[in-house]
Amino acid sequence: MRLFLIFTLGAAAALSSAGAHAALNVFACEPEWATLAKELGGDKVSVFQAITAQQDAHRVEARPSLMARARSADLLVCTGAELEISWLPLLLRSAGNRKIQLGQPGNFAAADLVAKIEVPARLDRSEGDVHPYGNPHIHLDPRNVSRIARALGERLAEVDPANAAHYQARTADFLARWGKTIPQWEAQAAALKGMRVVSHHKDYNYLFNWLGMESSMSLEPKPGLQPSVAYLGELLGKLKTEPAEAITRSVYSDPKPSAWLSERAKLPVVVLPYTVGGTQEAKDLFGLFQDSIDRLINTRNPG
Amino acid sequence: MFKLKATAVAAAACCALPVCAQDNADLEEIRQEIQQLKETYETRIQALEKRLQEAEAAAVEAQTKGRAAEAAQAQPSPPAGQQARGNAFNPAISLILNGVYGDLEESPSTYAVTGFADPEKINPGERGFSLGESELAISASIDPLFYGSMLLAFEEGEAEVEEAYFQTLALGGGLTLKGGRFFSGIGYGNAQHPHFWDFFDSALSQRSFLGNNYGDDGVQVTWIAPLPVYVELGGEVGAGRSLPGTFEEDTELAEVDRDKNGPGAYALFARLGGDIGPSNSYRVGVSYLDTSTDDGQFALADFDTRTGTENLYTGDARLYGVDLVWKWAPQGNPAQRNLKLVAEWMQLERKGDLTFDVPGVAQVDAFKLRQWGWYVQGVYQFRPTWRVGVRYDQLDQGSSSLGLNAANIPGVDYDPKRWSAMVDWNPSDFSRVRLQYNNDRSRQDITDHQVFLQYIFSLGAHGAHRF
Repeated sequence: MRLFLIFTLGAAAALSSAGAHAALNVFACEPEWATLAKELGGDKVSVFQAITAQQDAHRVEARPSLMARARSADLLVCTGAELEISWLPLLLRSAGNRKIQLGQPGNFAAADLVAKIEVPARLDRSEGDVHPYGNPHIHLDPRNVSRIARALGERLAEVDPANAAHYQARTADFLARWGKTIPQWEAQAAALKGMRVVSHHKDYNYLFNWLGMESSMSLEPKPGLQPSVAYLGELLGKLKTEPAEAITRSVYSDPKPSAWLSERAKLPVVVLPYTVGGTQEAKDLFGLFQDSIDRLINTRNPG
Repeated sequence: MFKLKATAVAAAACCALPVCAQDNADLEEIRQEIQQLKETYETRIQALEKRLQEAEAAAVEAQTKGRAAEAAQAQPSPPAGQQARGNAFNPAISLILNGVYGDLEESPSTYAVTGFADPEKINPGERGFSLGESELAISASIDPLFYGSMLLAFEEGEAEVEEAYFQTLALGGGLTLKGGRFFSGIGYGNAQHPHFWDFFDSALSQRSFLGNNYGDDGVQVTWIAPLPVYVELGGEVGAGRSLPGTFEEDTELAEVDRDKNGPGAYALFARLGGDIGPSNSYRVGVSYLDTSTDDGQFALADFDTRTGTENLYTGDARLYGVDLVWKWAPQGNPAQRNLKLVAEWMQLERKGDLTFDVPGVAQVDAFKLRQWGWYVQGVYQFRPTWRVGVRYDQLDQGSSSLGLNAANIPGVDYDPKRWSAMVDWNPSDFSRVRLQYNNDRSRQDITDHQVFLQYIFSLGAHGAHRF
């Protein structure tokens, strides 16, 4: 035990002296915010990404590795709107890090900056695992990304004023590129207007709304509840009167329910990246939207 | 909106500092860069503002197309109407409902763990239908500095304050201070409330040595090291008013009321944890607990059953523990499949005086007892809502030195053991229905087949997914 203590304290001392001039430590919950923080921070930030594109932000646990990183973070960049309700509050309480507590400049919640869709009119768990502040999958509308990027750039400058000019320049550069690309995507995605899809979870509704698509049905009977064969059977019946063109799911969703319905309803399944790293093409935020649109267009107009 | 002026001021302020001003050439370069930045910004901002106006107009259009309720949310502000309500600051409340149907071959009234402490709490479960421990948890931030939480357990006509503590949020430097009544941080299973257990019951070692959960009134300090791996050190001082120092309740002979200032128990723990690749994560820990019966005394182990008379013990108790948790999920996504392995070993040492046959000869002599126990368990989620688990646990009589009383108290040559298997169904994050079988050999030479069908429902605030 004594040896252990000496080792720990020694290592801590070594690290804190070495880290005196290190970059700003950013703890990003989701891959989209990790990528955005790198875009805006460049070499002035060191970004830790808590979860990967293969993981579902609803279902993460407060793992020891996350606790260790949260302890040393200067800035926390997360979605908020209770997306991370099952693990982030516990991390914040236990990590002993004053800087990233709620209300501190080091706590950045992206969802606070944008209007949420699907704010439930009735809060009752008979409706499933509902999010009282609305649908938290906000990053899939590129106009939301613009707002969030602008605010995150300002926040980086606030938390690390010595490099404010650096963050402002990079933010302006990103916003300029982003602003130029949105109309290009919109032009391309005109081909998707009115496309009806069945989604696994309601995690693409911002994207669908932006692109003028329609998604009235989900494979989950209620948010967060697992699809059952009985419910999928109901959907199959509904699809006869309200036909759809495809079924969408994320890489992290169970492939079985969509495969089941796809086989019986003769509908193609589109696996969408959901976030950066979700597919090979979704290398950054630009790739995420480009690849999502490409995959949807290829499904609607194969070949 | 861009803050061009602020940018320029900030840049200028930065360059006024000695760290920035390297030499004149550099300064000139910086000035030119700023000028260039200004020019490029102005054109970009004009373009961006135009785009933003368009985007906002489009957003408003999209909103109005939606339901009226959605349109009301167009402004990024807290849900309308909430500020006006007096209960907007109500703490998070969650209620746990827990009930069980038990089928036990042997009567629970005869239950004992041969050779081990027998606090009243120890009970393998009841026969037939019964209500388990219902829990009410209330928690919230108190202010920017503190967080507070209380957990009440309701069982058979009584309510018990299991936990009621404050915790600091703003100490920084990896430090957290907790005060009040709380479950100790020693071991892995100890800090978990019954509704969080992976089995219907706790391990035999945790039951016998710690009375299911060792909680105390006191203060805890934890520190997380500033390292990329998780290293946490913790220490506690407390009153020592619970097992293994003392029983929670007075019995006819045992007096446990402590009439003194200062702490009656100390605990230390250290943990190391991290990820191995995206799919595996682990945590190992060592713990130490030091307490005593102080001036009180109590009936120890099952000496009374063995001797047929009453015996009392007073002295120190030290507990050493090692725990390991390993979790696996494909690509770190536990939603479909995941595996959780837990192993824990603990040893309890008692040292003091034993009085044999209190009402009769009252023979007093020095006494030493060292016992240990361990368990290994694995729980596998094989599809999104279903899990299966197995557990094996065993206690070891260890060694004892009874002095003059050795002749009076017959030894025990039996290691209580048990294996368990369970399957549970979890239709959502808030509900669980579990079926468990125990092959329980706690009593010497008796095998008790126990079956439990249990439900655990969680109402209200979303609980945390602890590691």
